[in-house]
Amino acid sequence: MNQWNAWFDQLTQQGKIKSAHPLEHEGKIVAGKKGRSVADGPFAESKEAIGGYFLLQVEGFNEALGIAKKCPALDYGMSVEVRPVAAQCPTFQHAGEQVAYMTA
Amino acid sequence: MAKMTTPTITSEYMLLFRGMHWDKNLSPEEIQNVMSRWIAWFDRLTQEGKAKAGQPLTEKGKIISGKKGQKVVDGPFAESKESIAGYILLQAATLDEAVKIAKECPGLDYGISVEVRLVDQQIGRGFAVSV
Repeated sequence: MNQWNAWFDQLTQQGKIKSAHPLEHEGKIVAGKKGRSVADGPFAESKEAIGGYFLLQVEGFNEALGIAKKCPALDYGMSVEVRPVAAQCPTFQHAGEQVAYMTA
Repeated sequence: MAKMTTPTITSEYMLLFRGMHWDKNLSPEEIQNVMSRWIAWFDRLTQEGKAKAGQPLTEKGKIISGKKGQKVVDGPFAESKESIAGYILLQAATLDEAVKIAKECPGLDYGISVEVRLVDQQIGRGFAVSV
């Protein structure tokens, strides 16, 4: 925990963390038309369950990757997924491009 | 409108949208229609003070694991129905209210699922209560 706090505090001081929180274990998964299926989730034992997030402000993807590699919990089985935040939803962007192409 | 004598205590909930290829069998016009509804939904939630933030994520990314993060693989698997496409950070009174909002997601009709999680108010420091 001390390693985690040290890592987190350093990133905060550097102004790289826009927001960060652990997520409570309980939750729900909503699916199906009009969201009619509401199930308990996620399965907390699963290695895929999301424990929390950091929203980073950094120069580029490689910097985010470098920060993620320093996560102290990696040594204990945690994995870290690094995703760039998109300016616009990629699906929407593709659809817009296709429509523009077809109407051009 | 009922008079509120005490302020409602709210908490933060994370909506995680899973499933990136929901648009597979839709025409571009249908996709744009869904996206317009999505944007209107998000704008309304923002105006109501319920959505604090929300962003889509690009399809690319990496997954790091193993000691010292030595294993770096491409991820997530974009075909997967579990891949996270984006998030909305909500301010809501209860989990039930957050679930009710999640049910309004226009992408649900097309195979997107929404994971609703209560945000732990401890700022990222450790994932357990520190003594």
